[in-house]
Formats: sequence, structure tokens, C-alpha cells
Amino acid sequence: MSAGYLAAVIALKSIRKAYQTGSQSLTVLKGIDCTIEKGELVAIMGSSGSGKSTLLNVLGLLDDFDAGTYVLNGQNMDGLSEKAAARYRSEFLGFVFQSFNLISYKSALENVALPLYYQGVPRKERQASAMAFLSKVGLADWAEHLPNQLSGGQKQRVAIARALIANPSVILADEPTGALDSVTSDEVMALLKEINKEGITIVVVTHENEIANQCDRIIRLKDGRIEGSNG
Amino acid sequence: MVDRDTWLEIFHTVLSNPLRTGLTGLSIALGIFILVVMQGLGAGLETGVKQTFGDDAANLMQVETGNAQLAFRGRKPNRRIQLHNADEQAMQAQMDSVPAWSRLVYRWGSTVRNGNQQGSYGVRGVDPDQREIGQVNLTAGRFVNERDVDQRRKVAVIGGQVLTDLFPKGMTPEQAVGTLIQVRGIQFAVVGTFNQTGSRWENRSVYVPFSTAQKLFSNSDVVSRVAIGTGAASIDETRETTASLTGWLKDRLVVHPDDAEGVWVDNRNEQAEMYRQIFGGIRLFVWFVGMMTLLAGAMGVANIMAIVVRERTKEIGVRKALGATSGSIVAQIVQEAVFLMLISGCIGLLAGTWLLQGIAPFVDHDFFSDPRVDFRSALLALGVLIIVGVISAIGPAVRAVSIRPVEALRDE
Repeated sequence: MSAGYLAAVIALKSIRKAYQTGSQSLTVLKGIDCTIEKGELVAIMGSSGSGKSTLLNVLGLLDDFDAGTYVLNGQNMDGLSEKAAARYRSEFLGFVFQSFNLISYKSALENVALPLYYQGVPRKERQASAMAFLSKVGLADWAEHLPNQLSGGQKQRVAIARALIANPSVILADEPTGALDSVTSDEVMALLKEINKEGITIVVVTHENEIANQCDRIIRLKDGRIEGSNG
Repeated sequence: MVDRDTWLEIFHTVLSNPLRTGLTGLSIALGIFILVVMQGLGAGLETGVKQTFGDDAANLMQVETGNAQLAFRGRKPNRRIQLHNADEQAMQAQMDSVPAWSRLVYRWGSTVRNGNQQGSYGVRGVDPDQREIGQVNLTAGRFVNERDVDQRRKVAVIGGQVLTDLFPKGMTPEQAVGTLIQVRGIQFAVVGTFNQTGSRWENRSVYVPFSTAQKLFSNSDVVSRVAIGTGAASIDETRETTASLTGWLKDRLVVHPDDAEGVWVDNRNEQAEMYRQIFGGIRLFVWFVGMMTLLAGAMGVANIMAIVVRERTKEIGVRKALGATSGSIVAQIVQEAVFLMLISGCIGLLAGTWLLQGIAPFVDHDFFSDPRVDFRSALLALGVLIIVGVISAIGPAVRAVSIRPVEALRDE
């Protein structure tokens, strides 16, 4: 365990998180302990209200936590400033969302290049890099298309290219197939698995057993606690 | 702070959202446009009113006569009252010292001729002090002087319009001085020219010496009017002088003290005071309408900015997830807003200016002329709108970046 803790790309220890709603305090995460090894493909499952989106927020450095420790890539993420969180996000993490969340008025190429804009990479360089990643997901011919000219599967592949472009250690995918039909879902999962084989850790939040079963391991959340973890 | 890449990002965002850009831009442009046009029309109104009423100096009184309406000391009602040379001299003698004094004989519709060109103008027989009293702005030569009056010289000082009408094109005022013209069929030498920017009537006048005009054109010893400069006297002092002078004149010319029309002293100081109040009122009105327009514009801008930012909640979530800091997102939204408002504000400013300049040549009414844009207040208004826009954008933007992206990006 201790060796795994050190080799882990993500290590959570007693993570607690409560939301203040008016005068009431709602504890959403009640002590999460979990490690994810480098190169793993992990599914997080749980019903709505189980705390899985809060956990994803915490993992994605999009929200602070109240207590516990979170070590990402060997670095402690406790008490980060806004700015530092944004920097670690762009260095270590890539996001894939259920509804793709491409910026509607930007072309596929520009959407893919956006993370590099926030890293301060020069325009030409980031365009070239974006083109390479679009080719990787098989959409080089669609570079100049706007999101609404693409199919659902194509949009998600653009989103995956965007998640990959900053060379992240971990890709966090929130219901990546939630808006896709089963054939396209399989294609997207196949792409994620392929990326995973290249050594990038992937965490998939899903409520579909079919998707979860394709992962190395499933972490089940219930009422803010990890109910079980199986491979 | 804003490098080329940021600019490209801003351009791109602004240009890729025509509806959003159009709505925000329109509200700003329209606000500035209305403000500029209102200001211009207000300025036009003031200029027009000034040109019609405000030609002479404000510090003067004029003695005028008309028909006495009331029977008095055995005289019948409705009789003509006239001021003769003897009355005028007695009046001057009984007054304390006065800064300026000019007798006037008017002959409207006098034919003035130069060679083959002729027209109908107002001829005014005056004393040298008229130059000061009427604030005559000489462009060449000299005004009527004492010697002209003493020797009843046939000399004339012509207005700018007379010069333009009767003399060959391109002739300068200097060249006109020394030429001979016919006034009511009698030859006069032009000794000077003048141009009054303030009034459209003055420039259609010809000044000649009082004594010459009285002898040649009225053939009597009647004085049409006496203009008295009041110098630096206060308005209360001039009111006092007006009252005592009126009393004296009524007694001498045998007019009933209650008769308003036999003889009167027109105190221009009083009128000037009235115009000052009218212009003050116009300015207040324009300012009020301008402020209300600005307020309406600012409310529209605030509203649109709030909607625009709310509409972008998802995009803000995406940008955050991709590594943007909250600060950089708020900064980008504010920069976009300022950029957009500056451009549309300038469009509104140009459109308003263009409209005013377009209509200016066609509207030359007695009470409206030369509408002008007050750039300073237009820029001030633009500044106010931008500040309001930025403040109204910051609130929703800060709220939008504080929403946790995973929530913002989930569709539930």
C-alpha cells in the first residue's frame, strides 16, 4: 500500500467535503480513501447524490476540499491558490464531458488548441499541435468545421483530442458516452482504451455498467463513501 | 497586459457571435447616437434663438415712440408721438453722464445700387457711438465718425450681405472701401464694411451718418430712436434710469403716465437677463434629456451584459477546465465588453455627427440653426456607458466563474 501510494498518480486520503446551503451544512464526501495507479483505466460509479460529481470536482482541481490530502503526480494539492490550481489543471489534467462542451463558435481545430492558449503556447505552434491530435482521433479533414457541423461521436473525439493536447497525466471523463448511441459509445470507449494503452491514466465517471465493465477497476460510491472497489 | 494573442481571441469571440455583439453594440451605439443628436439639436436651438434676438450689446436702452392711446392734458387719444431734435437734446442734457449715445433714423426697404446690381436693404442713420452700442464688427475701413455727422458727409458702412450681393464675386472688403454706391438714388462713398456673425439682419444693413440720413431721407427733425449705452451699470441701476427717463419723456411729450404706447424706454439689460434665463432653461432641458437618455442606455447595456454573461456560463466552465484562471476569464469578458462598447460608441458618435451635419444645411429656421456636436459631453457619455457596462459585466462574470465547472457543464 505504501509503495502504491508513492507510485500512484492520484492518492486521496480521508477527503471530506461539505457544502453550505443557507444555514445547513451538507456533507457530500465523508472521508474518501483511494489510490489510482499510473496507467490505470478506472470507472467511478454511483447513483445521483452519491457524491461522484463532487469527487470529480475535487479530482479535477475545480473545487476545494475541507479535510484530507490529495496527492496528484507526487505533488500535494492541499490549499492550492486559484492560480496554482489552474496551472496544475492545464499541466496534469484533461477533461472530457458528457455534452462535449466544445465552444460553439470555434472550429474543431481551435477548440483542440484552446488548452495550449492558456499555457501561453504561440499560435502557430498550437495550431500545428492541434492538427496532429485531430489526425490522431481521425478528424484531420474536419479541422475547420464548427461543432454543430459534426456528429455526436465526432464531437466527443474532438473533445478527447482537446483533453490530450496538453499531454496530461490523467484524463477525467464525466459520462463520456452519456449522450451517444451504443455504436458510437463503443467507438469512443475504444479510443479511450487506446489512449490508456499509451500510458495515460483515465478516470471515467459513469452510471452504465457496460462502460464501467470495460475498465480495469470500478470504484463504487454511496452516500459520500467508497462502497467497494473491484477489478 | 493585452498581447496580440489575447486580441485575436477577443476579435474572434466578438466576431463569431454576431447576435450577441449586435445587441450589445446596438444599445451602446443607439444611446450615444440619441445623446449626440439631442445635444446637437439643443445647441442648434440656442444658436438659432441667439441669432434672432441677441444681435446688439446687452448693455443698452432704446427710447422709442408710437401712438399715445390715452387722452391727456386736452390732447386726443390715438395721436402720433414723435421725438424731435430739440427733445433729444433736452433729454441728453438732463441725463447724468452716459457711456454711449446714438440717435437713429431708420429707412427700411431702401434701394442700394452698385453699377447694375441693386437690392433692398435697411439704411440706418447713426452717431459714431453706434459702433460700440451695436458691437459693429468692422472688416475693413472705418465706421461713421464725428466729422461725418458734423459735415453731413455722404459716406456709408455696408454689411457683409450687401457686399456679397452688390459687388463682384471675390471682391475683398478692402477693395470695396473707396467705391461709390447709390443709396435711395443718392451717391455715397463706402468708407467701411462690417460683418456680424451673431445676426442675419445686421448684415443686410447700411450705416450712414445720422445728420445725413435725417436731412436726405426723412427731411424733418424727427429722431426715430435714441440708443443709450449703459456701460457697466447694474441691472437695478438701469431699471431706475429707465423709470426716471420714461417719466421725464412722458412729461415733456405730453403722454399720460399710464400710457404704455406713446413713448417708452426699452431696457435691453432686462431682455438680456430674460434670454440668459431662456438659454439656461434650454441647457437644463438638454442636459436633463441627455441624462435620461444616458440612464436608459446604461440600463439597457447593464441588462444585455448580464444576459450575455449568463449565456456564456458553459463556455466559462469549459475555459476553466482547460486551464483558465477565474481572473483571466473575467478579464477577457471585461476586455471584450470594453472593446465592443468603444467601437459601437464611436459608430454612434459618427452616425449622430453625420446626421447633424447632414441636416444642418436644410434647417435654417429663425429659432434653429447650426446644430453642433458637443464632443466632450459625447465622450463623457461614452465613458459613463463603458463604466456601467463593465460594472454590470463584472457581477455576472464573477458569479459565472464561481460556479463549479462540473456542475455548469453537466446537462441535467
